[in-house]
Amino acid sequence: MTVASDLITRAAAAPAAPARAPRRRSPQWAAWLFLAPVVIYLIAFYAYPLYRNLDLSLRHYTVRSFVQGGAPFSGLDNYRTVVDNATFWPALLHTVLFTGISLIFQFAIGMALAVFFAQNFKLSATLRALFLVPWLLPLIVSASTWSWMLNSDSGVVNFALKSVGIDPVNWLTSPSWALTSVIIANVWIGIPFNLVVLYSGLQAIPSEVYEAAALDGATGWQRFWRVTFPLLRPVSAITLLLGLVYTLKVFDIIWIMTKGGPTDSSTTFATWSYKLSFGNLLPQFGPGAAVGNLLIIMALIFGLLYIRLQRRQSL
Amino acid sequence: MTLSSRRGLRAIAALSVAVCLTAACSNDNSSSGDGSTAAGGGTYNIWDPYPQFDDSSDWVKLLAKCGTDAGVTVKRTGYDTTDLTNKALLAAQQGNSPDVLIVDNPVVSTLAEGGVLTTTDDTKVDTSAVEPNLLAAGQQDGKTYGIPIGANTLALYYNKKVLDAAKVDPATVKDWTSLTAALEKVKAAGKKGITFSAIGTEEGSFQFLPWFWGSGAQLTQLDSPQAVSALALWTDWLKKGYAPNSVLNNTQTTSWQEFATGDYAFSENGTWQLANAKKAGFEYGIIPIPSQAGGTAPAPTGGEFVTAPVQTDTKRYATTAKLVACLSSADNALTTDTTLSYVAATSAVQDKQVAANPDLKVWVEAVKAAKGRTSDNLGTKYPKISEPLWGAFQAALSGGKSPADALKAAQTTAASATK
Amino acid sequence: MKSQLKTGAGVILTAIMLFPIYWMINVSFTKDTDMRHDPPHLFPFNGTLEGYRAVLHQQMPYLGTSLLVGLGTVILTVALSAPAGYSLAKLRPRGGGALSFVLLMAQMIPGIIMAMGFYAIYLKLGVLNSAAGLVLADSTIAVPFGVLIFTAFMSGIPSELINAAEIDGAGTFRTFWSVVLPVSRNAVVTVSLFAFLWAWSDFVFATTLDGGGNQQPITLGIYHYIGNNNQQWNAIMATAVIASIPATLLLILAQRYVAAGVTAGAVKD
Repeated sequence: MTVASDLITRAAAAPAAPARAPRRRSPQWAAWLFLAPVVIYLIAFYAYPLYRNLDLSLRHYTVRSFVQGGAPFSGLDNYRTVVDNATFWPALLHTVLFTGISLIFQFAIGMALAVFFAQNFKLSATLRALFLVPWLLPLIVSASTWSWMLNSDSGVVNFALKSVGIDPVNWLTSPSWALTSVIIANVWIGIPFNLVVLYSGLQAIPSEVYEAAALDGATGWQRFWRVTFPLLRPVSAITLLLGLVYTLKVFDIIWIMTKGGPTDSSTTFATWSYKLSFGNLLPQFGPGAAVGNLLIIMALIFGLLYIRLQRRQSL
Repeated sequence: MTLSSRRGLRAIAALSVAVCLTAACSNDNSSSGDGSTAAGGGTYNIWDPYPQFDDSSDWVKLLAKCGTDAGVTVKRTGYDTTDLTNKALLAAQQGNSPDVLIVDNPVVSTLAEGGVLTTTDDTKVDTSAVEPNLLAAGQQDGKTYGIPIGANTLALYYNKKVLDAAKVDPATVKDWTSLTAALEKVKAAGKKGITFSAIGTEEGSFQFLPWFWGSGAQLTQLDSPQAVSALALWTDWLKKGYAPNSVLNNTQTTSWQEFATGDYAFSENGTWQLANAKKAGFEYGIIPIPSQAGGTAPAPTGGEFVTAPVQTDTKRYATTAKLVACLSSADNALTTDTTLSYVAATSAVQDKQVAANPDLKVWVEAVKAAKGRTSDNLGTKYPKISEPLWGAFQAALSGGKSPADALKAAQTTAASATK
Repeated sequence: MKSQLKTGAGVILTAIMLFPIYWMINVSFTKDTDMRHDPPHLFPFNGTLEGYRAVLHQQMPYLGTSLLVGLGTVILTVALSAPAGYSLAKLRPRGGGALSFVLLMAQMIPGIIMAMGFYAIYLKLGVLNSAAGLVLADSTIAVPFGVLIFTAFMSGIPSELINAAEIDGAGTFRTFWSVVLPVSRNAVVTVSLFAFLWAWSDFVFATTLDGGGNQQPITLGIYHYIGNNNQQWNAIMATAVIASIPATLLLILAQRYVAAGVTAGAVKD
């Protein structure tokens, strides 16, 4: 699964930084011809849904005007409604916590495992492949399995806690635990991705570097902090960025496990947006779209931040 | 060279678009709904929320037969029930509604509000035989937007063995006090009390309503003392361990699974579990949900309505009406309701059902006492009340707020949403 | 650490990681009445094959569709993103940086927002409820990622290699096709694999765009066990177990292929 030894190493530098080697310049038309399919594709399949979502969020839609058309333009009213809603601040906090904590753990565990599996012991390739199986499961199944395991009364996790003498925890039904529970499940689902990418990054580090470090008398831990980690920085950056992208929009896991509850204690922007648009008998498309757009803006800010950081690094 | 390279480029560009275009051509008519375009065509689209039935099931065969009788071909699509509302709205927005749409009853008023559905006057469907309390869920401002295909509602299943062990006679459970007393005895005997579904969705509200209404509370006033007493009843059960903490996350299916373990004395569940109850491997019985002061509490009606969405081509209504009439005719309703384990919507068919299966008697009575969630002309106000309501019981059960505070907050939200 | 010790540790870690999978398998054999047993049954003794019987009878067509959709998504994704990656990495189009940024942003749009917009487009194109339509939608998850990876990889290809090809008289396209693409095998495999996995487990697009008709993927097949008032959990889990078999096989195959590419980089311990 380790694909592409040095490819992801370079991914970090790719999006904005110019290629370093001096080269003959190809004509612009050829460059754009190669890009044409993707550009057409982007316009055809991204622009319209986005436009529609923006439009939904700027109009006052009722069920009737959603179907029949003619919803009045209402400016930023939907956004105001959303920000004034009691759910807004908790949802924002949970989005940040869910994304941040999931990322840190996914990344740390993925990194530890990648370093561990990079040591090429017996069965390491097989075991590494097995680690990826969670990825193959449709989310509806993995999320259901987790909610099964974390059930207060008949879940296997509480059963295990009980048998070692710890009081059972209301994982999914207590406001203080619900967010933790969905984070645990999300970390579990995210580990394979981090493992794969970081492992391929590790493979790309030339072994001479380690040999040199070993000659200088570096211990295993020093080797990791001084050599591996800095060299992995570009890969780490892209892993975290992609992780961020995928974690921000996670909704299935939370929706299946807790429905964002109890009382919003595990609601994030993604589940809130879904809940507004689809989670009720009477859909509220306008506010739902507004929350969705806020989510996109959040992602946009992180993306810009990433690119700035990168520019600074490549200077 | 340059020539060949350019040709190759074009090939790539073509390939990327061709995948969709060729597919578009080859798949056009057969798979997408063509409700508004195929005017004189013989194909009528039916959408239903029963994806569990495949082409070999009685239900789909019935649809096909109704089509044949009306002289048309029926194209049936089964959607997951939670999806069906959105799908119906989207389809209507794009002018692509099916000819016949079978939806969960509280959705009818939402769709009617959106102008998606025709009234039974438009399509000339006869609804006179239907029990008025069931039909009410599909009525708004004096107009009727569909006809119930069958109904279900909630009652209490009990496990005879558990009750015997705790020395509880189910016949003595007449009101809340006696029910709570029974649960106490069950717990003292080392068994578990009652399971229900208090999940934060419409399903949870559905399960809470019998207690809410049974206290005398009204949906227009969520924080009345009666409502608080209903929520306090649930909260106390959880606190005292008569009900498991997992109810907060239980769907009606998971709550049934808990009951099916044989450890629980009671389960609040619906008609549709009858078939599973027979498989459970223990003796069970059914009692109506008691109201606070005694007597049967009004439970909400469940079950779907057969509706006819608006078409641009109004000539289609004649055939649509035939299809609807066929699906709701006495004989067919009997088959359908037996398959779905529902109670029929007309008393004539209900009598037949009881004659064939005396077990259903208690259910037929429960359905007669039941009440539509969107009735009392609440219509589309209901969803705006139901959501704060489920928020309130989730907050109270999870220990976040007291029942009174939770309901007060819910009333504030509901009042401003329904203004 | 001794190699055996490491293997031991590896086995334990894998066991912990895969416990939820074991639990899923366990549930797939569990009888309806034992689903919520307290304490839970740790082993599927005295279980049932009911779930599997249901799946084998009903789910095969869905598996086929999923496979088709997965492969279609792979082809479309690679066909779109490889040339774009090449252009961004080597041909320096004006505005390329902005395009990369747009692609990155595109990746961040929640699927449900896309799905709603797609519905209207699909209706007009007539690809609702078809495998082809689903391929198109699923590729939106993978195309931006693909461009990113291809750009990264191809910018690492030595320019001398490309120059040499052009000195030999190859045009831009020919250079791409017969030099750049073969060298980028690893990137192709990575992108394909991710594209396949995303398509395989997609549910949001499937349910919005492909909810009716005969060409439904396995994620929707699972949904058929979630009826109005009834859920057959053993059948759901059995479907998941069976559904992960072909995907696992593919994963192992890809792994081998890729491992060969990686050892070329001569990794030493």
